[in-house]
Amino acid sequence: MSIALRGIAKQFGEFAAVEDIDLDVPTGALIALLGPSGCGKTTLLRIIAGLETPDQGQVLFDGRDATLWPIRDRKVGFVFQHYALFRHMSVFENVAFGLKVKPRRERPAASEIRKKVHALLELVQLGWSGDRYPAQLSGGQRQRVALARALAVDPDVLLLDEPFGALDSQVRHELRRWLRRLHDELHFTSIFVTHDQQEAIEVADTIVVLNRGRIEQVGVPGEVYDLPTSAFVHRFLGQVNELPVRLSDGRAYVGPIDISPAAAVNTGAVNNVALIRPHEIEVGPEAAGWPATVTAVRVIGPVVRLDLCVQGQPANEPLEAEISRERYEGERFAVGQKVGLRFRRWQVYPANGAAA
Amino acid sequence: MAAAETLRPKGRPDAGRLVLIAVALTFLGLFLVLPLLVVFVQALSKGVSAYASAIADPTAWAAVKLTLLVAAIAVPINLVFGVAAAWAIAKFEFRGKSALTTLIDLPFAVSPVIAGLVFILLFGAHGWFGATLRAHHIRVVFAIPGIVLATIFVTFPFIARELIPVMQAQGKDDEETAVSLGATGWQTFWRVTLPNIRWGLMYGVLLCNARAMGEFGAVSVVSGHIRGLTDTMPLHVEILYNEYSYAAAFAVASLLALLALLTLAGKGFLELRQPELRHAARRARWRRNS
Repeated sequence: MSIALRGIAKQFGEFAAVEDIDLDVPTGALIALLGPSGCGKTTLLRIIAGLETPDQGQVLFDGRDATLWPIRDRKVGFVFQHYALFRHMSVFENVAFGLKVKPRRERPAASEIRKKVHALLELVQLGWSGDRYPAQLSGGQRQRVALARALAVDPDVLLLDEPFGALDSQVRHELRRWLRRLHDELHFTSIFVTHDQQEAIEVADTIVVLNRGRIEQVGVPGEVYDLPTSAFVHRFLGQVNELPVRLSDGRAYVGPIDISPAAAVNTGAVNNVALIRPHEIEVGPEAAGWPATVTAVRVIGPVVRLDLCVQGQPANEPLEAEISRERYEGERFAVGQKVGLRFRRWQVYPANGAAA
Repeated sequence: MAAAETLRPKGRPDAGRLVLIAVALTFLGLFLVLPLLVVFVQALSKGVSAYASAIADPTAWAAVKLTLLVAAIAVPINLVFGVAAAWAIAKFEFRGKSALTTLIDLPFAVSPVIAGLVFILLFGAHGWFGATLRAHHIRVVFAIPGIVLATIFVTFPFIARELIPVMQAQGKDDEETAVSLGATGWQTFWRVTLPNIRWGLMYGVLLCNARAMGEFGAVSVVSGHIRGLTDTMPLHVEILYNEYSYAAAFAVASLLALLALLTLAGKGFLELRQPELRHAARRARWRRNS
């Protein structure tokens, strides 16, 4: 089922949770609503689910106005961050819940329910757990039960609110990959909310970045990461170094490095900043660039992060550069070493106003 | 070093713990167990036959029946009200919510005597509705309806107060999940909300019931003390006591205490029958053995 949002707005008292949201989710898509806490992503998800009513705008399901449809009629599966398993029911009963509450005419026979529940538990790799109670399962297992329960009623749309937020990173990683595979197998339309850019990039087809109740950018993961349209998106998707841009004789400089022509440089009265990701900084011999001193070296698995103190920048705000482990093994940068920096890529934004 | 010593999990029991346990037990014994014992000792002081005849007295029986009847009406009404109020306060946002929360506490704040007087002022012969009620030959004050009303008033915070924190802590996720899975409001209440709150609810009902059976002040004002008709057990105990029939007074009092003990035993029994609790206990045992 395709979902479309048209001019959605919702206030909570004085606080505008979401404003003027337009979004199209095609059938079968897996979409991430990404943003910092308070950006309205959960409110938006709840509006799609029917758990909140928008003050303005329309929610369209397959082109039909579903704004005022009751939750029960929407055929959405909703998965909460904290699983919301019914703790007084066994795993089997939890998954069977949606089938057992159906009106008698539509309710499958007990044997059919049993078959379906077992199949779903197999699907989430928890075939053995039917007689257990939620309290006896780990967080990752509980979340998979919650997913099986949501899938039991054959939803057209699966909505997940920070589904992996409460899990530790190892389990989270496994579940992300598993959710992606599940989605590819079953082809339902899924929307999930997350504040974790890594998660959004790993799982989603399309990322919707939200900030202060508005959509900042919509795009495929590579696009929002590499071609952010605003400083906010640039900052939110991954690490950045922020450096002031100096204009002189019609050219733009960051430190001694000439970054012109930079299309985005606003030559008006506004200050400009250049945002550069750690892996976009090239660390070379001292003579070959902007002189800097290595102040810290951290080996983080396959990458090595260097803290670099450059001339003209406060010493307590070192730049962060990332180089590959292989390069590090070859060159052995050490604390105190003098190096020269160049930039592979950068993007320039006006400093005021764009700051989020 | 000293800190490490006291934090050591096993080893000789330290003095602080023993003192705390001793204080708690002494207090419990002095203020709970001893008075309860005294009630039974006094009740049986003139022998079992005197006890039996005191209880078999028709006015005593009438008091027992009236007390049970009043509790049987007041508790279910407060049950419905308490669940509805707690649900509204815990799960919805609306204007006047804090006012409602404060109002629920009113009976705790107001002296029961005043509660009784209020009903006299409203429904008494010279009260606001007195004339109307008389015209229709309805007796409220100095009759069972008045006693029930006063009891409901005095006991109505118990269940709501017990449930509000429980429901607030549980949030709305479970209910929202149930509805998104296609459950109706009614199904959601019976299959999800009620099981989630049952312990708080049961505890609230127990407290409410204990107070409903034991209420003295408010009921005393509206009852009129008509022996065999509008005397509840607490009122009957007082009458007997004032007539210097101590053994009889304590015999009825012991019945009241027994009713309280029975409700507690009932709670314990229900806890034992819970599947998850049994499960948890079995798991704990299994872990200890392995």
